[in-house]
Amino acid sequence: MKLAKYGLVLYLFLALPPVANLLESIMIVHMHMQMPLLIASGFLMGRFFQLKFPRFFEKWNSNGVPGIILFIIVWSYWMIPRAMDEAITIQAVEIFKFISLPLLAGVPLRDSWKKLASVGKDITFVYFILMFLIMGWIYIGSESQVCNNYLLVEQKTVGFGSLAIAACIIIYLLQLIFIDQSEFDEVQKD
Amino acid sequence: MIKIQPTVVSIILVISFGIVLFFLGTDGYRAFTAESARTYELIQNKPNFPSVTLQDSSNRTYTFDEFAEGKYVFITFMYTNCGTVCPQLELNMAEVYDLIPSKYIGEDIVFLSISFDPTRDDPETLTKYRSYFGSDGETWRMARINDQAELDALLERLGVIVIPDGYGNFQHNTAFYLIGQQGHLIEMMDFTEIEKSSNTVLSYLDNKVEE
Repeated sequence: MKLAKYGLVLYLFLALPPVANLLESIMIVHMHMQMPLLIASGFLMGRFFQLKFPRFFEKWNSNGVPGIILFIIVWSYWMIPRAMDEAITIQAVEIFKFISLPLLAGVPLRDSWKKLASVGKDITFVYFILMFLIMGWIYIGSESQVCNNYLLVEQKTVGFGSLAIAACIIIYLLQLIFIDQSEFDEVQKD
Repeated sequence: MIKIQPTVVSIILVISFGIVLFFLGTDGYRAFTAESARTYELIQNKPNFPSVTLQDSSNRTYTFDEFAEGKYVFITFMYTNCGTVCPQLELNMAEVYDLIPSKYIGEDIVFLSISFDPTRDDPETLTKYRSYFGSDGETWRMARINDQAELDALLERLGVIVIPDGYGNFQHNTAFYLIGQQGHLIEMMDFTEIEKSSNTVLSYLDNKVEE
């Protein structure tokens, strides 16, 4: 429960207008820092909801698949250039961002990940690798502004940031395959 | 009776939510960037060209309506210090200008390049800039809008977004705009498609298309 409180503190901090404005003024920070942090705050707060509504999660998300699909849909939605632009220019969209990322992406991720079979996890990783690679390709390759509120240079930065994230996920998966995890698992059990 | 798993129900719900979310967020999968959303909305709404006061390269001052006088007006937005897209935009505009039969020029249609950098683009600068592109200063004029409030209102109305990059330049979206005889926006055209744009303009001039 302590983590849930940290999650709430993180969420409130991110929602402070000066903090939100600052994070949104730089494109890559908006997309690859503020949004993941909002998801993280929901992820931390997720424990609270799990304890509060255990039957709900048990019944409707027993295998973790609906939750992870919701997580994928919501995060993918916020990768659309227009969604990012409108979060800045339209107040209602900004509010929706602050509700959807923690509650509809962070919380379901928390509830789903442990329940997911390993094939589900693999599919999720592959999806995000592909998404970030495609995003990188679009944002670096585009000669025109994809987002009206940001400069072309920032757009390319986001593209390289996306490639970096894809690379990190790939490295993570490779080490899962090539490094023996059994010792680590044993230490965790002890 | 087959018992449906609750997770199947929630998967269907979640996917439906996703379809609705993406549908609403992209105007029915039409506009994935704010720019395309704007273009789509502008063409739907056909906003009126707001009242602005222009100062042209010959140092004459008049309102947009006095300039248009019920003619079609072909418009671009630029600034003379721009090293990237504006020269290309104006060159392409010159090609469209040349493709329109001369019987229409000045009679049914006039051309106007509007600078959104009024501090630097004074009449002398505009005169110099005009000569690079074969603009005659009469049927194709280059002008600035001195009143910042009027300029902002115009840019806002026509969906032109201009961001200063902090080094004296601007990042901006670029298009050909066609204002109809009633003074409202009727077309936004891709400035790289010269032939297509001039055909669109001609279809209005030849009265093939109703406004």
